[in-house]
Amino acid sequence: MVNHRLVLDLVERVGTAARHGTVSVSLGDGDPEQLSATVAAWCTRTGNELVAVQGNVATVRRGRSLDPLAELAPDLLPGTRLWMYTNFDCNLACDYCCARSSPQAARRALGIDRVRQLATEAVDAGVAELILTGGEPFLLPDIDELVAACTAALPTTLLTNGMLFRGRRLDALRRMDRSRLALQISLDSATPDQHDQHRGRGSWERAVAGIRIARDEGFRVRIAATLPYEKTHELGPFHDFLDSLGIATEDQVIRALAHRGAAEDGIELTLESLIPEVTITAEGVYWHPVSADHDDQLVTRDIFPLQEAITEVRRRFTEQRAHATAAAQWFPCA
Amino acid sequence: MSSPLIVGSVAYTPNVVTIWEGIRDYFKGTSAEMDFVLFSNYGRQVDALVDGTIDVAWNTNLAWVRTVAQTDGACRALAMRDTDTVFQTIFVGRTGSGIGGLDGLKHRRLALGSRDSAQAAILPVYFLDHAGPGADAVELVRIDSDVGKHGDTGRSELDALRTVLDGHADAAAIGINTWEAIGRDELMPGAFEAFWESPTYSHCNFTALPRVPQERTQPWLDHLLAMDWDNPDHRPILEMEGLRQWVPPQLDGYASLFEAVREQAIPPRW
Repeated sequence: MVNHRLVLDLVERVGTAARHGTVSVSLGDGDPEQLSATVAAWCTRTGNELVAVQGNVATVRRGRSLDPLAELAPDLLPGTRLWMYTNFDCNLACDYCCARSSPQAARRALGIDRVRQLATEAVDAGVAELILTGGEPFLLPDIDELVAACTAALPTTLLTNGMLFRGRRLDALRRMDRSRLALQISLDSATPDQHDQHRGRGSWERAVAGIRIARDEGFRVRIAATLPYEKTHELGPFHDFLDSLGIATEDQVIRALAHRGAAEDGIELTLESLIPEVTITAEGVYWHPVSADHDDQLVTRDIFPLQEAITEVRRRFTEQRAHATAAAQWFPCA
Repeated sequence: MSSPLIVGSVAYTPNVVTIWEGIRDYFKGTSAEMDFVLFSNYGRQVDALVDGTIDVAWNTNLAWVRTVAQTDGACRALAMRDTDTVFQTIFVGRTGSGIGGLDGLKHRRLALGSRDSAQAAILPVYFLDHAGPGADAVELVRIDSDVGKHGDTGRSELDALRTVLDGHADAAAIGINTWEAIGRDELMPGAFEAFWESPTYSHCNFTALPRVPQERTQPWLDHLLAMDWDNPDHRPILEMEGLRQWVPPQLDGYASLFEAVREQAIPPRW
């Protein structure tokens, strides 16, 4: 027995909804499968979207849902930038490290073979920029090979604390392609106190020295500061200091401290609140580099083929945004 | 630069805001910029057109007829949707009811939509009188659930269909747009079947009065007619407003409604 009122109810309820708004319509009595099929057929015919059928209620969106990917700025489209955790060990043990890196952390190196394959597949997958991070990448004896594999494929950024530019590591730096590589060096303050408080005594001075070396060697240097959220707006002296080091304004990046990894506090970052940036570690593909040590944001253990990993991240993002939009529209206040 | 042309429209659904903001944006930066004013019913909109509060009204066919009556025919129609040129009233009954045609309604109950709906009340009576057994031979069940909006919401037509399902009427007269919206007789097998389809007639149009000269309306009209279904920026607005193309008005299509209004002594103003 078909509930003949169902389609009349659909027309009336959806007709009163705003574009992209959702309404819930009771299926009424009858075979649930047949009723669901009727709703689906009506939606197809009228250009509306059946969001879900739960129990005896169908949720229908007026019109077609917006494509969350199309709403993003092109440079935010997941897969435009590809992050690679080259390793997790570090010469520092910053107390807010999102990756829980330290001298005691296991290396968990990605390795030259995987980095090379990723760089090659990244080109075909439409990636525009590669970003290498850690841990401290300059602890790796083959860091110059890793970087060369990346810069041969795409413009690349290498994140470092800038403290190890001497001896064979300085030689490795000098072998890198200045025309295709930017260095992103961590520095939290214009004076040692704040930086050293979290990263260790003497680290500020060595980082600043590293910035000067990198600049003298002809590299583009970007500075990234990690600050508690409440301090991210008092930065005049810090920017003045970076200006004095010759860092371009657009290369002065301020990030709020995230409550991830070793950090005891900071802003909460979840799958729902983060626009994904595809991140590869030795363990798999993660939603975002800030959560590469957290299984809640593990997307898949399968790194290859890279295109499939990127597609899966985009699919999950689209699905999650659709659910969030629907939930936001019917969440009751009372 | 001249002041924007003010277009009036009746807010029969929340999407009217989206539609008109989209149309306003479409005109932005042109030599024919416009703004819009929303009304709660067509009576107030026609009043505003006549008193000059708005320059152009997006009128239903009944609002057009009433504007013609109130201005002694001095108003002019500028454009309409392609779908407005081929509007129809559909008479439907329960599947298998065997009504067969308008004559089959004799001594039966016909559910009509709101009394100011041309497609679901005024013209159905006209069609009964001119192509059927006469309205006096049919028991009319009036469902006045969206009076003021000339049937735009479609609610009274849906209520008329529910009345048929409930067995309180044998048939209902609805607009072709409602018939399409419920999927004709294809989505609910065994529910409804159409037993008579009216000749086509004209529905909505943009109406202006002589106070607003053609030099003001023509650039706006030219730009309106240039909206393109194949342009992804234009298409969402066209889809929401229910057309593929704006077209010049077909005034012949209002003849049946003028006659119906006269015969049924529907007042020019209320």
